[in-house]
Amino acid sequence: MSAAADTACPAIQAGLTAEAILALLAPLGGAKDPADRWGLTVIVPREQLRAAMQLLRDGETTRFDLCLDVAGIDYLGYPDWRGPRFAVSYPLKSTVFRHRVTIKVQVDEDDASVPSLHDVWSSCDWAERETWDQYGIVFAGHPNLKRLLNHHEFVGHPLRKDYPCQKRQKLSVNDPMVDQLQAKLRALGYEILEQPAVTPGMPLTQKEIAK
Amino acid sequence: MRVKTPQGEIVDLMTINLGPSHPATHGTLRLFAALDGETIAAAVGEMGYLHRGFEKMVEQGTYQQVLPFTDRLNYCSAMMNNIAFCKAVERMFGVELPERAVTLRVILLELSRMIDHLVCNGANLVDLGALTNFWYFFNPRERVYQIWERLCGARLTNTVTRIGGMYRDTYPGFEQDVLAVVKVIEDAVTEVLGLIERNRIFIDRTRDIGTVGAAEAISAGWTGPCLRAAGVDRDLRKDEPYYGYETYEFETVLGTTGDTFDRIMVRMYEIRESAKIVRQAVARLKPGPVNTADARLSLPSRNQVYHDMEALINSFKLIYEGVRPPAGECYDAIEAANGELGFLIVSDGGTNPYRIKVRAPCFTQWSHYPGMLTGSMVADVASSLGSINIIAGELDR
Amino acid sequence: MVYKPVPATAAAPEVNLGDAFVTTTVDAVVNWGRRNSLWPFPFGTACCAIEFMGMVSSMFDVSRFGAELVRFSPRQADLLIVAGTVTYKQAPVLRRIYDQMLEPKWVISAGACATSGGFYDCYCTVPGIDEIIPVDIYIAGCPPRPEAFLEAIVQLQKKIDRENRNERAIIGGAA
Ligand code: SF4
Repeated sequence: MSAAADTACPAIQAGLTAEAILALLAPLGGAKDPADRWGLTVIVPREQLRAAMQLLRDGETTRFDLCLDVAGIDYLGYPDWRGPRFAVSYPLKSTVFRHRVTIKVQVDEDDASVPSLHDVWSSCDWAERETWDQYGIVFAGHPNLKRLLNHHEFVGHPLRKDYPCQKRQKLSVNDPMVDQLQAKLRALGYEILEQPAVTPGMPLTQKEIAK
Repeated sequence: MRVKTPQGEIVDLMTINLGPSHPATHGTLRLFAALDGETIAAAVGEMGYLHRGFEKMVEQGTYQQVLPFTDRLNYCSAMMNNIAFCKAVERMFGVELPERAVTLRVILLELSRMIDHLVCNGANLVDLGALTNFWYFFNPRERVYQIWERLCGARLTNTVTRIGGMYRDTYPGFEQDVLAVVKVIEDAVTEVLGLIERNRIFIDRTRDIGTVGAAEAISAGWTGPCLRAAGVDRDLRKDEPYYGYETYEFETVLGTTGDTFDRIMVRMYEIRESAKIVRQAVARLKPGPVNTADARLSLPSRNQVYHDMEALINSFKLIYEGVRPPAGECYDAIEAANGELGFLIVSDGGTNPYRIKVRAPCFTQWSHYPGMLTGSMVADVASSLGSINIIAGELDR
Repeated sequence: MVYKPVPATAAAPEVNLGDAFVTTTVDAVVNWGRRNSLWPFPFGTACCAIEFMGMVSSMFDVSRFGAELVRFSPRQADLLIVAGTVTYKQAPVLRRIYDQMLEPKWVISAGACATSGGFYDCYCTVPGIDEIIPVDIYIAGCPPRPEAFLEAIVQLQKKIDRENRNERAIIGGAA
């Protein structure tokens, strides 16, 4: 263990300017989001999201290899808002260059669906599940779009502005997660020959839980 | 569960549940694994057992009221969250902090980083069975808590910053206390390193266990010590310096393979680097104001309130309504103990935040963890879990 | 040989045994034993659990009160310390752990969150664990200081001292 002596990794380089990134995304319909006055946010049409993200990740000059987060936003009740109700923001960063960009897609309430990026960055997998859980935005093509933060008996999407903050929902039995485990085993090449006789895990009927 | 393996064998897999209340899961994580003998064939993780609705709660109050909530994100280094959030809001306002506030924040950041690493490594070593080190690390940590107490009254949940500066200036003798505690922490680190660095048992249990290489870590969105352990030299303090970190002399600590051993050692040596920064910052600490003079953010002095109508109105406004960042969306991050801690703030120009999204460093680490276990031994679950330092408060928010 | 009865002494025959006897009630002995050997199960979920660790560590040292043997199996513990926020997702787990503990058992609810939900008045948090399980001692604070944890243990010991076996059997539903 040495302090930065045997650096296999080159020093960080300057990277692209905001104008250059915008110019790169302009053919895909990318437009600067005026709301972000401090950094660079580019609004990309939903149809072009995957193409734009792949370009940003793999481009020689961009190399945005870290997808830091997937953040949903609900604009219901935002003052003077005329755009679509939901937006999904992806803050990206490069480990090669010193540049950042946030990509944003906007979707309407009645068609709240965004293409999934779980195969572009593996970090998007769970982050998209969280956004689906909290906002009800569907990530088309996601292999396991289950709730992440809230329990599996939860109804509704709590971070939507019309979900009352104090509307509590009780849980009776924890998720046994057998289905997820079996899906994972199948993905690893296993063949399930026999279902477990008793559901493993925690389920126990909780009579008293609902007082 | 009877299965046919990819190699065509027919085996019976045993399924076990680790957590959500298991000592190695530090509270609230759940891992559900299928075992083939002692090897993990596959594992899936679950989270959300500590989902307390941070992001919903903060929309109900003002910007200042967010601060106590940020304490409880990563409660091992609460001050870092305070500072990260304040820095993001201050960036929206475009205010410059006075020099003393900046230097103080650097000291608090680095001390928090040190105690966070102490808790992480201490707990990790307990998971490996090395209980003594836990005491060696917890005693200096208590001494840091004593400084926190004298500084702001609280041990754990400090809320020590305010938007636009600090809660208040330090107490007399703060510098000496900090320098003394840094010495104690360094001694503890030396002692523990002496116990583990060449310890055969420790090395056997951590070397090449839970390895996550550079490419895998980057795709999984890892940042901070876990990414550096894989040999990727990225540290926001160096790459996008804030608070004058470019003027401090310190080095980033890198691992080579990204295994559990590297992650523990990166943290160990980072404590020493932080100690260097704290010493330099203490030397730079000069008397001066700790809050900006910007009337949009800082309360006027009592004297002004009593004698000046404008100041009185401003004081009322700030207390009853709170600050109003300009409308817009801003993402800002710092290098927290665990990695990049970012806040995406959406403001509608009002006094309540419209939306705050926390980019928690351990979220990406935990989401990658179940996949990382495939093929490893059950006994290594605890050690590799401890080394990626999952703090449930930050993970589930 | 002529049979001579032993002359009756004024006091009971035990007197001849001197100080070798102490008389007491079963309750007092049992409670004394229980009070001084509490085995806690830390159900730590959040920030308060960090202060629980502080209480166990050498600076505050809970072993002075005989409750340092932390057990991570509910079947081996008789004191459940719930430290931290309990969410609805966590609630069935907590209930199950409580059910698994053997009688006699006591519960300390540590911190604002476990006691009342704390300042998380939200769609996902249980407003106090007493919605789910019975609680003996509540500790205030967010988080409570380690001294407050110790105080709670002392209070619980006092409470155990006053306990009556027969009552407990009725309340706890076990012999
Ligand atoms: S009471 Fe406070 S310190 Fe304790 S778990 Fe709740 S928020 Fe955290």
